Amino acid sequence: MNRTVVETSPAPTAAPSSSTPVKPPRRSGRPRSGTPSVTRKAQTRLGLILVAPLMAMVVVFLIFPLGNALYYAFVDFNGINPRPPFVGLDNFVELFKDPSVWAALKNNVIWIVLGTVSPLVIGLGLALLVWGVRRGSIFYRVAFFFPYILPQVAVGVVWGWIYDPTRGWLNRGLELVGLGSLGTGWLGNPDTALYAVLGTAVWATSGFVFVILLSALRNVDTELVDASLLDGAGPLSRLWYVVLPQIMPVFLMVTTITLVGGFSVFDIVFIMTGGGPAGATEVLGTYAYGNAFQLNRISYGTALALVITVLAIPFAVWLNRLQRRLSLQGMGA
Amino acid sequence: MSTSSTTLRPRQALRGGRHLVLAMLSVLMLFPLILVISTALKTGEDVRTNPFGLFSSVSADNLVTAWTVGSFGDYVLNSFLLSVPSTILVVVLSTLGGYAFARLPFPGRSIAFYLVVLGLLVPFFTYMIPLYFQLRGMGLLNTLVGANLVLASTGLSFGTFFIRAFFTDLPTEIEEAARIDGASEWQIFRSVMLPLVSSGAGALAVFTFLQNWNNFLVPLLYLPGGQYRPLTTGLYLFLGGRSVDIGPLAAGTLITILPVMVLFVALQRQVTQGFLSGAVKG
Repeated sequence: MNRTVVETSPAPTAAPSSSTPVKPPRRSGRPRSGTPSVTRKAQTRLGLILVAPLMAMVVVFLIFPLGNALYYAFVDFNGINPRPPFVGLDNFVELFKDPSVWAALKNNVIWIVLGTVSPLVIGLGLALLVWGVRRGSIFYRVAFFFPYILPQVAVGVVWGWIYDPTRGWLNRGLELVGLGSLGTGWLGNPDTALYAVLGTAVWATSGFVFVILLSALRNVDTELVDASLLDGAGPLSRLWYVVLPQIMPVFLMVTTITLVGGFSVFDIVFIMTGGGPAGATEVLGTYAYGNAFQLNRISYGTALALVITVLAIPFAVWLNRLQRRLSLQGMGA
Repeated sequence: MSTSSTTLRPRQALRGGRHLVLAMLSVLMLFPLILVISTALKTGEDVRTNPFGLFSSVSADNLVTAWTVGSFGDYVLNSFLLSVPSTILVVVLSTLGGYAFARLPFPGRSIAFYLVVLGLLVPFFTYMIPLYFQLRGMGLLNTLVGANLVLASTGLSFGTFFIRAFFTDLPTEIEEAARIDGASEWQIFRSVMLPLVSSGAGALAVFTFLQNWNNFLVPLLYLPGGQYRPLTTGLYLFLGGRSVDIGPLAAGTLITILPVMVLFVALQRQVTQGFLSGAVKG
């Protein structure tokens, strides 16, 4: 009686869940032994029909170019030659020896560290401030979240003015508080350019972290917080021992997102400085883009893009596992 | 449950102070936005001579210049031509696929699912270069169709995940009741299950539209010809002459972000939900 069931269902519940940070299909749609085989067949047919257009798109515009990326990385393709020569690991060896790659990687590391820590601190601070606010919390959510959903080009344009050496609001503000001597052409000065662009990114990301952490805080068990109040716990120890452990899974998840994003940062740097001045803000992404689309070193750029991905994925997987373990221990959320 | 109703007066003062701090922080966070609106609405003369004046004059000159001379009128149209079809494609294909993954058994489901998952793990960045040559080979470079398909493909993995979760959460009893009533599998999907996820599909639509509207890399790479240039790459092009004309540039920026602002203010919850789920479930 169960023959159809065995044939048609690839046992979705048995999918290996630990190898990816994303949950595999869960129990529903599972073969139920009570389902008649006519229904089963009809379901199979509909399933195939419904999923076909999606898979066609995924295969053509994701899987195929991904496979091509692997191919490009092992040949020497300049965009024109139809049969590029196989070069093995040459592209990767060259990457390894290229000082510009290391310089870009250093900028990525700075970006990852500061671009993860600052939004987390700012976002948590804002979330703690708004937590417990009853009236007006929607307004704050809108105000703080808004920068995150703006197109990066618009963000880059505005911050370009703010950082302007003579007409910029930043230098103006520094003058007003008597720190005018610190003023500089923020994006034109190689010492400050990376941090200026990073500051813009932090501005845009903090609101995102804030909204996620705020919604996590709203789920915090307030009775525990009240109990700790009665026990005379100070605000900091309350935060550390009572609140933070409860939002830890979400906290780690946000960390993953901002951290992984730090590897593939491109738009905002490309828009604001294009990697300059003198390579001061060059990150792996802009360097890969420049090689592929400006120098026609297609294979070299692709190999670099692959390396960026391979660098980022372990962090994503690792943090996601950590998060899942914590959430299992914590509250089964 | 009630955390503070029984506690003492000083908390009230504390709360007032907290609102003051939050209000100041809000102004600080929104300042760049205020700057855009103010600069876009100033006269050209005022922009040049008084860069630090906020709302010191009011004029539509910059907006008119951006719209006509700066071609932002064309860019707006192109942005819609790139965002609307790709959004529809994402919502439709994700809903169909999401239902199949959530509730229908079919051969190869696990493999298919992992292929979709791959799209969440691998950044667009990784394969954008080969995709350029693939599109060129397919004759889709510099076409609205090609750009729409690519935009849609970048949103499908998340969309399928997002909608699948809604379908997964529906109780099996609904489906079984319909089946006992003699509904076909298609009818169960179309008439029973689909209406129940419409709020999710709506949130996905808003989120996807914003993502596609904001997308910079896809038009930059795959529409190099310029005849279908949307607002994002149009604004970037305009940025080249930034030192010359800040007023119209501000106006162009305002035009670019206006739909985003309107959608966000009108559908604040859906937009936030979309962006949060994009993070939480991915």
